Amino acid sequence: MKFIIILMLTLFLASCTPVKDSDILIKKNEIANLKGLKLGAKLTLKKTTKISEILKNPNKFINKKVLVKGTVTSLCSRRGCWMEIVGTEVGERIRIKVRDGVIVFPMSAKGKDAYVEGTVFSINVRNRNHKKPACGQEHKEGSGCEQKVAANIKTIYQIQGIGAIILD
Amino acid sequence: MNKWRKINNILHRDFGYFFAGLTIIYAISGIAVNHINSWNPNYIIERKTFNLTYSELNTKNIISILKTLNINETKYKVLQTDVNLTQIFLKDKTISINTKTKKIFYESVKKRAVFHAFNKLHLNHIKGFWTYFADFYAFVLILLSVTGFFVLKGKKGLKWRGTILGIAGLIIPVIFIFIF
Repeated sequence: MKFIIILMLTLFLASCTPVKDSDILIKKNEIANLKGLKLGAKLTLKKTTKISEILKNPNKFINKKVLVKGTVTSLCSRRGCWMEIVGTEVGERIRIKVRDGVIVFPMSAKGKDAYVEGTVFSINVRNRNHKKPACGQEHKEGSGCEQKVAANIKTIYQIQGIGAIILD
Repeated sequence: MNKWRKINNILHRDFGYFFAGLTIIYAISGIAVNHINSWNPNYIIERKTFNLTYSELNTKNIISILKTLNINETKYKVLQTDVNLTQIFLKDKTISINTKTKKIFYESVKKRAVFHAFNKLHLNHIKGFWTYFADFYAFVLILLSVTGFFVLKGKKGLKWRGTILGIAGLIIPVIFIFIF
């Protein structure tokens, strides 16, 4: 009996835990009722994650499925194979990459709000702002040259999109 | 004429007639997307850069910028998309104002009506039923190739011309596969 009371109390307290700001719950059927261009797979997640939250703690979201909402600011004009969306915070921006031909983002999506579901992934790109230092023979092991080279590699985070709704 | 050759010729002729239009559509789109690195096969994009003369951005200045660009649309969305970047989204147009570099980037997008429609079919953006119809068309193309060899008999058929040209046409892609 004591155990059941403790269990009930724990469950009650757990249910009272406030929803994190980053997790915006979507009302039942809200996604299904959204009017707009539906692309790819149906959206399955019930809560959106803030783009800024993903960018602040990327390791927490790597290989995890997320639903994000934002305004489309740029797109791949030739193949429609990626688009960038921004959130409500300034500088909050993420690229949605899709498999070529599976989803084709239309140019008319620019400036519109969109819900996108997909998996967060990272890619390493060379930082264009830095010149790659040459690690020649004169650089002894442990001179830090390799680290400098490594420093020129920038990790960026993107979402592998599987489904999206471009709102009207 | 043999019965099987008659059927072969009927299949070749009628499927050829039926899919002539789609073959032309796919061929035109094929040429268009083949050169995707040198041009945009779906949209005509016009880009212009102007200098920002205002020290700050406010509604009045934004309206004034739109007027300067001969944009009379009243429905637009203004969004600060980065620390120094404000973007104005209009139908088929985007104006990006960089307050740091004091530059205004104007971009207008116009659909290439025919190519966009043809590419939509060729690259199967439609999905659904079109996927199956396109599969059927691909199967018919194989059928047309095979039946084509048996339309004529004798020297103008497989006995000479058909074999020589058929092999020659196959050698070219094989060479490219091995060289590149």
